[in-house]
Amino acid sequence: MSLKTSDTSFWDQRRNKIRSRKGGYRIGEDVYLHGNSLLGDLIYNASYMQVVVLNATGKYPSKAFTQWLESLFIALSWPDPRIWCNHMGALAGTTRSSVIAATTMGVLAADSRFYGIGTVIVQGVSFIQDAMERHQKGDAVKDIVYDNCKLGKPYIMGYARPLASGDERVEAMIKIADSLGFEQGEHMKLAFQIHDILQDEFNESININGYLSAFFSDQGYTPIEVCNILSCLVASGVTGCYVEESDKPGESFLPMRCDDIEYTGPAPRSLGK
Amino acid sequence: MKSFPKAVKRPDKFTTTPATQIWYESPSKQNPYLAEDTRCYGYSILELADQCSFTQMLFLLLTGELPSAEEEKLLNTFLVGFANPGPRQPATRAAMYAGVGKTDPSHILPISFAIASGEFGGGKEVELAMRFLRKNARKKPQDIAKSIIENNLAPHEGDWHPVPGFGSKYGDIDIMAQKLAKLLVNRSGSGKILAWGEAFASELKHANIGWLMSGIAAATFADLGFPPRAAAGLFQIACAPGLLAHGVEMANKPVTAMPFVEESDYVIENI
Repeated sequence: MSLKTSDTSFWDQRRNKIRSRKGGYRIGEDVYLHGNSLLGDLIYNASYMQVVVLNATGKYPSKAFTQWLESLFIALSWPDPRIWCNHMGALAGTTRSSVIAATTMGVLAADSRFYGIGTVIVQGVSFIQDAMERHQKGDAVKDIVYDNCKLGKPYIMGYARPLASGDERVEAMIKIADSLGFEQGEHMKLAFQIHDILQDEFNESININGYLSAFFSDQGYTPIEVCNILSCLVASGVTGCYVEESDKPGESFLPMRCDDIEYTGPAPRSLGK
Repeated sequence: MKSFPKAVKRPDKFTTTPATQIWYESPSKQNPYLAEDTRCYGYSILELADQCSFTQMLFLLLTGELPSAEEEKLLNTFLVGFANPGPRQPATRAAMYAGVGKTDPSHILPISFAIASGEFGGGKEVELAMRFLRKNARKKPQDIAKSIIENNLAPHEGDWHPVPGFGSKYGDIDIMAQKLAKLLVNRSGSGKILAWGEAFASELKHANIGWLMSGIAAATFADLGFPPRAAAGLFQIACAPGLLAHGVEMANKPVTAMPFVEESDYVIENI
């Protein structure tokens, strides 16, 4: 019987060894991040948001871009526990879970197909970049919109939103971008053309995801890079909702009576054993 | 500057009383916040606790009915077979590092569950594998295997999962996974999907790939009638005992009880 000797060299090379393109700690020397000295340079010269982008993408953005980014984080830091991810913070507060559990679970909840960071933003950035490619090849904006309609309604990630029509965050972020000297890029121009069609024909409008997707695209970021940068976008609002409820008596956040649940299952039955 | 319409609340009507067919709590007459009887799909929780196994309860919660003896046996075999991913598996290592790092023990499971949620060997792969199996189970396994091997290139480095739930483990067919699959396939409660997966894995052998643990979980869940959306969570529940045990085992040990890669073996490529 012949014994096969498997080639495990790929894994052998990695046993107890790490090769990092990101950086790390050289004890007694410094901490490095993409070739930059964290304690000798970045701590003095970079903003926290520049370091966030550097860790997430390997790119070192301008200060103006990260000022815009910080404003975006502010625009998403709502301390309203009715918002789904923030609800986790409030529930964690009312059960006296730790603030770290609360905040991370709120961030995790935002990994959602309905709202939040994961699927929604990746699809928002992908949409506008794909739309730009089509537009540059000659497709009309209207065709792009109508190709994303089902049963006469538009389903485009980054346009329309739950709870409300219109999105006041977009206007605020445009003002921020203007004040920082950003010109309207090609993706943003296209995003607004899509917005205009949706406004005129469906009474829907661009939302914060559509806006940030176009802005990041104009700055040269990929969908995954945007997702990586914004992974903790909702964290601060979740923390706020946690703190609010952790100061109140336990399990007092939206208490429910037994009859606040509608039972729709089988009638009482017995195991009959 | 471009003008935007003012935000206006949509007319969506949100319920004030969430509906469930799973659980009924009969309110106490003295205090409507307290239950005096609790039922799961109509069965008294006290009767269930008195007479049922955890496996039966899990099946009831996910399907609305108690399992047959064969279904219970199959699910129980699965739950025991998957109860510990082992200390080399990433989710378990996360639990162990949480333990040795003195992370609050209440976080051991949430942390390791998150690591056990991924598309490569985790809960997401189980869900995707379940969808793959359900979609292809009426086709001939040899045709699907042939098409997959012909139309997909193995990566230059690392393992290959050409379809979710099937592939290589450290460059080879996962020996223990094939043994566990065989055990489950031979249980009387196993059904068409496990059988299809076994035939499919056999067709993949010549490409040095086969069942992965995620594929076995997916096939078992499909045969038991669980929905794909429950797959990741069921996989996490199955792994939970081992994840918790390994995390807790480390919690009282010194931080040196887990590896910390030596300076000489930590290479920073671009300084």
